[in-house]
Amino acid sequence: MIVGIYVVLYALYVYQQPRALSASAIAALFNNSAPLALAAAGQALVVISRGFDLSVAGVISLCNVTLAVYPMAGPGGALISVLICMAIGLLVGAVNGLLVAVLRMQSIAATLATMIICQGIALVILKAPGGTVADWIADEMTGRLWNAIPVSGLVVAIVVAVWLLIRRTNFGMAIYAIGADEQSASLSGMDTTRVRFLTYALAGVVYGLAGFMLSAQTATGNPTAGTPLLMLSFAAVALGGTSLAGGRGGLFASVMGAAVLMLLQKVLFSSGVSSFYTGVFQGAALILAVVLSGVLSRIGEAK
Amino acid sequence: MTNDLRQADTRFAQAGDTRTSAKVSRETISAATVAVLCVLLLVGARFVSPALGSWSQVETVLILGFFLVVLSFGQGLVILSGGLDLSLPGTITLGGILATGWVGTSDPAAWYLLPVVLAACGVVGLISALGIIWLRVPPFIMTMAMSIIVASALLGYTNGSPRGAAPYVAVALMKGHVLGMPVPVVVLICFVVLGWLFQSRSVFGRYVYAVGTNVEAARIAGVPVTFSRILPYVVSAMCAGFVGIALVGYSSGATLRMGDDYLLPSIAAVVIGGSSILGGRGTYLGSVGGAILLTTLGTIISALGFEFGLRTIIEGSIVLVALLLLREELFKKLWSIRR
Repeated sequence: MIVGIYVVLYALYVYQQPRALSASAIAALFNNSAPLALAAAGQALVVISRGFDLSVAGVISLCNVTLAVYPMAGPGGALISVLICMAIGLLVGAVNGLLVAVLRMQSIAATLATMIICQGIALVILKAPGGTVADWIADEMTGRLWNAIPVSGLVVAIVVAVWLLIRRTNFGMAIYAIGADEQSASLSGMDTTRVRFLTYALAGVVYGLAGFMLSAQTATGNPTAGTPLLMLSFAAVALGGTSLAGGRGGLFASVMGAAVLMLLQKVLFSSGVSSFYTGVFQGAALILAVVLSGVLSRIGEAK
Repeated sequence: MTNDLRQADTRFAQAGDTRTSAKVSRETISAATVAVLCVLLLVGARFVSPALGSWSQVETVLILGFFLVVLSFGQGLVILSGGLDLSLPGTITLGGILATGWVGTSDPAAWYLLPVVLAACGVVGLISALGIIWLRVPPFIMTMAMSIIVASALLGYTNGSPRGAAPYVAVALMKGHVLGMPVPVVVLICFVVLGWLFQSRSVFGRYVYAVGTNVEAARIAGVPVTFSRILPYVVSAMCAGFVGIALVGYSSGATLRMGDDYLLPSIAAVVIGGSSILGGRGTYLGSVGGAILLTTLGTIISALGFEFGLRTIIEGSIVLVALLLLREELFKKLWSIRR
């Protein structure tokens, strides 16, 4: 369904802006959507396991300022950078996992605290927007492979592909199981604490990638870079039809949800709506998406 | 057989005992800890810098703490009812921008326009509440979306740059003096007393406790459930609007991001004050203590020349520690050890 919405919206966009069909415009669209798509993919993991992860904003900001303050040149530097980002995400995700899975704190409260701390660290590293991300990252990660395939799209595709593999494993199924009913998952012999811990850690790694892609796109540092992605990541997950009550949904749908949100922004802009009001539409889209997915799941249960 | 029954009987009595005692100890302990920490911090600060720990610093803390104390009342009620209000940044800014935009410095209009500004903020809270109750949107999603919608609408309304000056009343509220005391301190004390009466001594307050503990049980007990769930969000939004007006009076103008720095501290104050983040438990006096503690800490950190980022890290860590220490299980464990 979400793919259908995207196609309709895209047709509208092309109708308004015929230039949107050129390869560079498509690549720009991919570049715009990639950070949110990755943030939504990580968020979807946590939401499927029946939790909420607010630390997404903190991890992305932290990765962004790290890349802007300590740029590393060349492909080798980019490799180290992406590993650093994933390590930051892994660390924060592991802390979240420890708090939520092992110490049994409420996910909103625990991740809210880790988000505040990450934002604080980001502010210590970089006080005000500034700094430059390494040129190689900014150029290559937003470019096109063989002049055709957008690299950012490829990164998102790899994450989705890895997820499709993980989903078939016991761990992947366990995420859905503890989201649907933790007690029966535990009674069927699953180590729910371990699964939940790994879910938050894995989500953190994906947020790290989101921070990396966002830095490539903006090419500069901003200690609050991740904040706008917080609400949008939930909106994307809900738009993708993932139930906020856990147990149902997927990563690809959430990625498409993110793409729809970013495209919506472009369509609104080319329709002449002032960019000031973007938030009104995105907020309304979030509420609408949550209500719709709630209604759909209730209809599903009634059947 | 009788023995068994008697055993069961004492077990019941014991269970009942633990509950009431745990509840009393939990709230008294956290309130007392917070109060002691505040005094220690203020006195201890003297050793760090002679400028700190004086009566004038206490006054500064109370004036700066005004905003957080008022906000934590609304946030505390919402959390007590089992929700969470993330719309504060939007509603604070709404209050501030409307106060400068509509009311301005014109003196006579302020008396009837300021209540209208508060009502406008209340409407935002009402919409959030209706979305949460009727449309079944999770509270934090609904209020987060409302905050962004309001902020974006204000951005469009002001074309990106808010104009107008602070109303005379708002300036008098924050900068005036009465009987040698700063007006905000007097207003603050009145607000805390009224807030405490409302939450702990009024029927509405009891309703909110009941709804936060168990909605279904409250419904059966005859509590007007829908009303009691809507009320906290409306009160919280109006508190935020009031803070917006006060902030405008304090800094003589509104900005579009004036509310951003108050969301997390408002939740932190409530949690540090001993409220359960799951609802149904907590007192306003605890939240007031939490708010004052955070403000004291903030003034000390900035007096020592630490940057804002470090202050954020410390605040976040305090929230985390408070959440960890105030978990139900820990209290139960402590209690069972003492037994």
